Amino acid sequence: MSKPIKKIMVYIDGTEQSITAAQYAICLASFSGAELIAHYVINTRAMEDLLKARIFLQDEQLEYQHDMKADAERYLNYVNELAVAKGVTIIKKLSSGNVHKQIINTVNDEHIDLLVVGELSHIRSRRDEFYDETERSVRSAPCSVLIVKDEDRVWELYESMV
Amino acid sequence: MNLIDLVTDKIIKTPLESKDKPDVLRELVQILKDAGEIDDFDEVLKAVQDREDKQSTGLTDNIAVPHAKTPAVASLKLAIGISPEGIDFNSMDKQPSKLFFLLLAAPGMSGPHVEALAEIAKLAQSTTLCKALVSAKTAQEVVELLTGD
Repeated sequence: MSKPIKKIMVYIDGTEQSITAAQYAICLASFSGAELIAHYVINTRAMEDLLKARIFLQDEQLEYQHDMKADAERYLNYVNELAVAKGVTIIKKLSSGNVHKQIINTVNDEHIDLLVVGELSHIRSRRDEFYDETERSVRSAPCSVLIVKDEDRVWELYESMV
Repeated sequence: MNLIDLVTDKIIKTPLESKDKPDVLRELVQILKDAGEIDDFDEVLKAVQDREDKQSTGLTDNIAVPHAKTPAVASLKLAIGISPEGIDFNSMDKQPSKLFFLLLAAPGMSGPHVEALAEIAKLAQSTTLCKALVSAKTAQEVVELLTGD
């Protein structure tokens, strides 16, 4: 029987929940020997919506694009440090566009077996305007999805790894 | 984090008391101060005013979205103010603004800031919802309209 999980992808969006998901994914990769990809998507779709609505000035858009790229790189580097500290190799992937579409495309292109995401926001609104990109990815991913919860337990698990 | 996670009755004021643009910016920042969401009133107000000085954030259809990045906050902050009579905010369509969404973000939080602003932009496209928000009599009514309850 071949290994059930050969390739894991964890989605990073700069939230604490996604960092917890990364810690859990690192544990999983270490125990299973699976390859691990950390994927951050810069949400340029949202940026386009803001330009269309004329909420952003042109120079404001450029400033935010620059900031978002810097934030993304910082978070990916941090996750890489978390992995290296536990002897796990991680592949950093940075893309931009529509978040859930980028995630799905990468799952397909990289033949991901397991998508790991952070805990989803509680549903506080029934209005369509407040949709969650991570939730969309969970619903439409063509592979198995693991939603990581219980930050304290995950932290203990990660810390206990040699 | 979704924009809706920031919505509580404490960060909503209806009706606003202000009658002009400088006052409404102060009143919106004061909402956050009164709710205990910010400490440094002056620094936040300056960041918001600086952005407004570049170009008004008054959009069309009676909506304004003043926003700024400032180290005076550690996380995303939202205040909602409603002026049924409308306030001249130098908006794109020259119409008075009635629905104000003030959004603040810390530097280094550009992703969540952009996504929250985009959610406001989507809300602004719903004419029916915006009209209902302007007609709301209480902050709780605004919360219920936004949560869809």
